[in-house]
Amino acid sequence: MSAPAVTVDNVSVRFRLYHERNNSLKSAVMRGRRSVHEDFEALHNVSLEIPAGSTFGIVGRNGAGKSTLLKCIARILYPDSGRIVTRGRMASMLELGSGFHPELSGRENVYLNGSILGMSRRTVAAKFDEIVSFAGVGKFIDQPIKNYSSGMYVRLGFAVAINVDPDILVVDEILAVGDAAFAEKSRQKFVELKAAGTTIVMVTHAISNIRQMCDSAAWIDSGRLVSIGDSNRIADEYTAAVGLGDDQQQR
Amino acid sequence: MNGYIRELWASRELLANLTMREIKGRYRRTILGQLWSLINPLATMLVYTIVFSFLFRTAPPVGSPSGIESYPLFLLCGLLPWTFFSTTVISSITSVVEGESLIKKVYFPRLNLPLAAAGSAGFTWLIEMGLLAVVLLFFGAWTIPWLPLLLLFMLLQTMLASGIGMMLAILNVHFRDAQHFVAIALQLGLYLTPILYPITLVQQLAADRGHWVVDVFELNPMEHFVAVFRSLLYDNRWPTAVDSLWCVGSAVVLFAVGSIVFVRNERNLGRLL
Repeated sequence: MSAPAVTVDNVSVRFRLYHERNNSLKSAVMRGRRSVHEDFEALHNVSLEIPAGSTFGIVGRNGAGKSTLLKCIARILYPDSGRIVTRGRMASMLELGSGFHPELSGRENVYLNGSILGMSRRTVAAKFDEIVSFAGVGKFIDQPIKNYSSGMYVRLGFAVAINVDPDILVVDEILAVGDAAFAEKSRQKFVELKAAGTTIVMVTHAISNIRQMCDSAAWIDSGRLVSIGDSNRIADEYTAAVGLGDDQQQR
Repeated sequence: MNGYIRELWASRELLANLTMREIKGRYRRTILGQLWSLINPLATMLVYTIVFSFLFRTAPPVGSPSGIESYPLFLLCGLLPWTFFSTTVISSITSVVEGESLIKKVYFPRLNLPLAAAGSAGFTWLIEMGLLAVVLLFFGAWTIPWLPLLLLFMLLQTMLASGIGMMLAILNVHFRDAQHFVAIALQLGLYLTPILYPITLVQQLAADRGHWVVDVFELNPMEHFVAVFRSLLYDNRWPTAVDSLWCVGSAVVLFAVGSIVFVRNERNLGRLL
């Protein structure tokens, strides 16, 4: 394999938990510059490599630091120490429909959301019909988005995001969008992306996703890397440690 | 820094789209739509004309060489730039806090948020100033040859407002008091800048109290911008060198400082919001 798509090198992230926070001028002046806080280490010296073209899963309990790691890879958070190197164009699906404006039409929002995710106007125009038919919103495309059902809203958001065509796609627990038919359609889309050579990094609570979709996986607990390797092995280790079968892990 | 500029340039379509979102979203579901952006300054103009021209009898200076003498027109030449300045500063500040959900979910050069706020306010201002130039033409001020210079100074004032806005936007992330404090400061600023009254009024005051009064007034960059806009539109003559230098200097310095402060702090926005 060539150079890894993502290299996470000794990354630590600390959050400040404020007991009394100076977020008003009054409290800052009254107490001086000191605010009372303790540090919470969300990630502690995590290192891993994600090979180009592979699908990589991250598992762990709630609050283990999975999303923090994902946000660091997606450049939303910057680590306090260590560094992250990514090779290729990256797109993140941490939320669907980012920047959708409720008063604007579906069409306007597709262009807006597309450019937020880094697509050019021309790319969106070329893929517009595909996006609309994938989302299945039909004639609603020229209606203000506030009239959409919540299902249509996320489906449209998903359809835009999946058409970004990045080299690296960062996904946070959004595979279970829409009804069963749509979930199957989006799973199919991920298979296509993978076949096209896209590196996919996903956080998921569904162990079945790790087994079926991922090549390798990492298990994170309390901000530390517990184990990394073949996805089935990680899935076994994780379910054994947590003491639940695959099905109970499904949310 | 070079890498950042390249990235910012690559995201210019995003800036255009975020600006359009602001412009289109603002007056959706109103019957008058974009007309509201003209009705608002006209209503303000009417109120100030009644109070200052009819009640307080503020005499407008005679435009030289244009020869026009009208308080509402004199007022608008200063009021429209001020309204834009104040809208841009406030909306740049709030753009970051309001963009929280975007900042926490997607990576893009964050500078686009305050720039889009300035862009959408600038769009409205451009239309207002264009119409004002036409109305002045109708009243006998030959504004046409001054339009290129007008555009240049409008661009400079946009840089000034957006530089200040970017700096305060970062402060506001730490202390949300900032946006309320700035709103009050801007309200005061309207009266401390010679917009509703001519600078000659301040000069008369200085004759009694000492020249420092004028000196203090002239520390305000907006005083110089208003003077330049009045020279170009109301008087139809070249702005003074001092005013022009103040405008260029303050715009370049504050825009540079503002964007450096913003870019230096933008990595922390994902945590702080």
